[in-house]
Amino acid sequence: MEAVDRKLTTDILVVGAGIAGLQAALDLADRGYSVLVVDRQPSIGGKMIALSKVFPTMDCSSCITTPRMSAVAHHDSITTWTYTEVDRIEPDGDGFRAHLTRKARYVDEDLCIGCRLCEYACPVELPHEFEGNMGARRAAYVPFGTAIPQTALIDIEACVYCGKCEKACPTDAIVWDQQPLGVELRARAVVLATGYQTTALDAKKEYSGGKAANVIGGLDMERLLAPNGPYGRVLRPSDGKIPDNVAYVQCAGSRDESLGVPYCSRVCCMYAIKQAMLLSGALPLADITVYYMDIRAFGKGYEQFFQTARSMGIVFVKAKVARIDEEPNGDLRLRVEMIEEDGRVAEPVHDLVVLSVGLKPGDDPRRFVGVDLDEYGFVASPQAKLDTTLTSLPGVVAAGAAIGPKDIVDSIVEASAAATKVAMRLGPPAVSPAPPDDGLDVEVSNIDAGEAVAIAGPAEVQHA
Amino acid sequence: MAVQPAGEQSTRMLIIATLLCSYPGIDATGQAHMEYPPNTFVIPTPDPVVFPESFYLYCFEKGVDGILIASCGTDSPYEGSYEQLAARINNVYAAMKERGISIRRLKLTAICSVCTKAFLKEVAEMEAVLAELGPVEGEMKAAVA
Amino acid sequence: MPERKARPARKTGASAPRPKTTTGKPHEALGEKVGVYVCHCGGNISDVVDVDSVATEAEKMPGVAVARHVMFMCSDEGQKTIVEDIEKLGLDRVVVAACTPKLHEATFRRAVIRGGMNPYLFWPANIREQASWAHPHSPRAATEKATALIRAAVAKSRLLEPLDMVRVAAVHRALVIGGGVAGLRAALDLARQGMGVTLVEGSPFLGGRSVQLHTVFPTEEEARPLVHGLIDRVKAEPNVTVLTNTEVVAVKGYVGDFKATVRTTPRGVSEELADPAAAIAACPVKVASEFDGGLGERRAIYQPYPGSEPDLPAIDWTACTRCGDCVAAGGGKGIDLQGKPRETEVEAGAIVVATGFDHYEPRQGEYGYGQSPRVLTLPQVHRLLDPQGPTGGRLEIEGRVPRAIAFIHCVGSRQIDGVDEPGPDGKLHEYCSRVCCTATLQAANEIRTRYPKTAVYDLYRDIRTYGRDQEQYYVDASKRGVVFLRFTSETRPSVEVAPETAREGNLPLRVKVTDTLTFGAEMEVPVDLVVLSVGVQPRDVAGLIDMTKAPVGSDGFLLEVHPKLRPVESAIPGLLLAGAAQAPMDITEATSAASAAAAKVTNLLARDHVEMEPFVARVNPSLCDGCGDCVEACHYAGAIALQDIEVEEGVIEKRAYVNPVACKGCGACVPACPTAAIDVAGWEIEQYRAMIDAITAVPLTAGAAK
Repeated sequence: MEAVDRKLTTDILVVGAGIAGLQAALDLADRGYSVLVVDRQPSIGGKMIALSKVFPTMDCSSCITTPRMSAVAHHDSITTWTYTEVDRIEPDGDGFRAHLTRKARYVDEDLCIGCRLCEYACPVELPHEFEGNMGARRAAYVPFGTAIPQTALIDIEACVYCGKCEKACPTDAIVWDQQPLGVELRARAVVLATGYQTTALDAKKEYSGGKAANVIGGLDMERLLAPNGPYGRVLRPSDGKIPDNVAYVQCAGSRDESLGVPYCSRVCCMYAIKQAMLLSGALPLADITVYYMDIRAFGKGYEQFFQTARSMGIVFVKAKVARIDEEPNGDLRLRVEMIEEDGRVAEPVHDLVVLSVGLKPGDDPRRFVGVDLDEYGFVASPQAKLDTTLTSLPGVVAAGAAIGPKDIVDSIVEASAAATKVAMRLGPPAVSPAPPDDGLDVEVSNIDAGEAVAIAGPAEVQHA
Repeated sequence: MAVQPAGEQSTRMLIIATLLCSYPGIDATGQAHMEYPPNTFVIPTPDPVVFPESFYLYCFEKGVDGILIASCGTDSPYEGSYEQLAARINNVYAAMKERGISIRRLKLTAICSVCTKAFLKEVAEMEAVLAELGPVEGEMKAAVA
Repeated sequence: MPERKARPARKTGASAPRPKTTTGKPHEALGEKVGVYVCHCGGNISDVVDVDSVATEAEKMPGVAVARHVMFMCSDEGQKTIVEDIEKLGLDRVVVAACTPKLHEATFRRAVIRGGMNPYLFWPANIREQASWAHPHSPRAATEKATALIRAAVAKSRLLEPLDMVRVAAVHRALVIGGGVAGLRAALDLARQGMGVTLVEGSPFLGGRSVQLHTVFPTEEEARPLVHGLIDRVKAEPNVTVLTNTEVVAVKGYVGDFKATVRTTPRGVSEELADPAAAIAACPVKVASEFDGGLGERRAIYQPYPGSEPDLPAIDWTACTRCGDCVAAGGGKGIDLQGKPRETEVEAGAIVVATGFDHYEPRQGEYGYGQSPRVLTLPQVHRLLDPQGPTGGRLEIEGRVPRAIAFIHCVGSRQIDGVDEPGPDGKLHEYCSRVCCTATLQAANEIRTRYPKTAVYDLYRDIRTYGRDQEQYYVDASKRGVVFLRFTSETRPSVEVAPETAREGNLPLRVKVTDTLTFGAEMEVPVDLVVLSVGVQPRDVAGLIDMTKAPVGSDGFLLEVHPKLRPVESAIPGLLLAGAAQAPMDITEATSAASAAAAKVTNLLARDHVEMEPFVARVNPSLCDGCGDCVEACHYAGAIALQDIEVEEGVIEKRAYVNPVACKGCGACVPACPTAAIDVAGWEIEQYRAMIDAITAVPLTAGAAK
């Protein structure tokens, strides 16, 4: 079923459209290279588009991510393919041959105008992964409000084939027999920006994650705190009660040999402090306690952010939480040693617990490309000190959480650094980018299509 | 957020929206099909700091009954502009008082790019003010210089 | 009109502002043939808004040549309609009423270009997100609103002028200030992309702080060979000019065209010096060696280590007495004590600031510093552990290996008002210095491995081994028997220099701490070496900051435009930040930042021009009276200035002039001007007024919410 339908070329293939991938793509495209960005999700934006606010500036995450997403979508030299998997990337001469699969949305991307009439008509509801499974979506759906492209897709596993979406669609965009499209692509360089996934909520059995309803993960709380989240406010999952005694459990997926994650995940101290501060705004009467091993507020402005949180009355308790048990009313009983007091074992009860889960590699790049990884699955560099974005395969660079847990600012720096490495290798782009008012338009196609193109030229990402 | 009840549309609200923050936020409100009254007119700008006092007075003179400045607040990408804007609005309030225009007709607020609920709330509050005060015509004493 | 002398040519394509009326009166429209396109959006608009009647109304609006309603304006069909109408009907402005411009403004601007029209003569109206989708149950009101929004867009479009991107000719050279790892990385990355680079380093030697280390974490590679590998690659680049002993003394210009004056102090030593070692040994002057953190001595003619870059001694002119003893000892040639500094001009399109950091110097008496030779800083201990250091790598104080060492973290970092004393600059260092926890544990591990009989105590607040492979140092230290003691934000350890205990057991220092790991027990730790893990602080580059107007944060480090999104760019276009000048960071982070800065530089300069959006302020010199209020209102250094202009024959007056490259287009200057002489191109006050006129032109229909 892997019919190879297209043969295309591009200068750079960027795998992953989170903030690192987007930044690398923009830097390279601004330089004049042609860039193809692919992401397995139906929208670009990675994890960052799902966050509420970012530390330490407290910018609204969506407000700073969407301009980047938009810039990528509109850039003359960038083509973006979402809902696309990378199957393999192999060296080929001084470049690479890549095989990608554009998964079937069952919607014609060129015809869809993102009006959502299919979504409103669809009778099937299921938990929305984007909302931490706390909100619902339909089987036919547009991924989320700020998604780019604003294009619908059908979760065919959940679809009941009632045809209501098809009837509702004003542009006849539903395609029931859409096939995954195999694409063979030649690229001169590759950027791996495959990001992270969080460690499992239930990784540490002692913490009742996955069993107790009111033990949630860090990204789940982001959605509760986001202005466009599933409930529009912070509620606890079991009964919708507004929490008034929230606990953060740090290192709930890191610095723990028993979980196979002995390393530090770098961002969890900061995201917990940030969330705690947002909670004190959203729930002014709530008590918020952070149980920690070390507070790692190491970046620019981070320590000051931490001290501000302390002064706001957020309580920081040095303690490695030993266990979390669910009470009959949904509350959680923690077990901790009060090191900073008299060392007694205490069992504080909280009504909502956030596990500060850690970061693992978002993907195993070795599935599709022969780069060395470290023992934890992050991409390794042969020159780790002076050139961290290189990989063991010349012409393939990596950036962001793919090479280790990373916050947004460090991911952005690495993405630009990776762009430089690519430019150093490739030499100046073939076509100098023309000034925009020369009337030069999509004739200068960066995707050299073999035959008539269903994929429109680089500027025409359809998202009405 | 309840839909405004059908009724007389006798007043007009101008919403000054910023390209970076509130314009996308108002878009998001529409995208989510969240309803608000149709007597609202959005004027986009890179930053509301650009408007002299005379502009706001001009609006009232021409028959704009209420103005909501949906700024970026302290998230403004332009150095120092929010503080300058706030100071200028104070000047506008003084000028409005002189002309007998209720200062409740002008509000400075901050709306971010996903602040749909906050936007609806601000619009509803200003609608309530306009419903109470009626058209600005009734209050205008002097012509704009 | 009297003849005028030509003004200095502006390096911009932005057209000069046309004469304006004074406030209030609407200006004569420029656009006479507007094409209006109302999109159905496949029903998303047309199901609520009566697009047919809207188009009919639009055609009646003043200045409108044609108004159409089209199923999908964003489609190829829709765009072609625009192109054809421009060509066939001679349209001079285009308005598209459709979905939010955030989606398709770029699309329609490009369509307009294809029709041969300037893209800035297009204006959108948002009648989907702002009309049909927001007022689905009020079709009549939504239709009226859409019509009003289109009337406003038409009115605005008629007042738009064609604009050109602001272009500055770009010099293909970067000036990199600082020859440490960040500066070297930036220089190499730029050169390898074909950019010319001038790298200036203030000291006589390249390598910065990194070459003072023996090994680097976490790879445990040797620092100097690592850095010299980078240096060799930089030297091999024909496009790079390296100037050591060189400082920047003046900076003029702006992005694309900076002119910097640099002053090179003579080295005093050339390759002709036959016997450098003898020349150095002959020098009678001895000063503390800054390379060795003050622990060792050097001469006035010196070289920090064999194989330094350049591999030549240099003369420290502040110490040198010009006695000339080195000359004869060195073989008679190669030393010139009479040289004078020389200045050169460097032209560059961009500047990368990589001036690095200094270590925090503890106050006299801080934890006993300066009161005992047994209280040292971590950088000093690094020198003692270094085989090329002052003790040949032997950790010895007063000739003996310490028996017990206490490290104290966060000295000069994470300072808290009321708990810590501000430094000599009067400031508290509230920030975390990021690298010291890992560096401390690396040293602790090395000491426990090499000197197993030496006890090591680590007094910390939080262990911040956050980075890749860094946690391992903490685990290993623990396994190697380092004893950890923890103090809080509000308490500090104290160090007593207690010579009487020396009689008892030769442990002359007593460290006291309230240890939270043992539930607040008061611990007394006798040691014979205290190592202060000092933080970093930005190097004093006040002169450079003054010259470039580079913004500085409240923590004293150079300030980036946006802390999350644009970490290597400063608010000054063309001035980039690389490395520890911007924030504490380790070698890997600094080199990544340098490579990132290189990306920004090449994107700015790679074409022949630097291009920027034309939405910048413009001054009408015939209305301007040179009062300078706009300059005061502007927050961006160099964006507006008063210039002498010959307004008529022989009459020179001041007028405001906007540097379109530095202007951000925020408009803060506009309301400040008492004569309405300044406005933002494309976002002019009269255009806003025209929109207000349009919106209020038609009275609201009462009861329209149906």
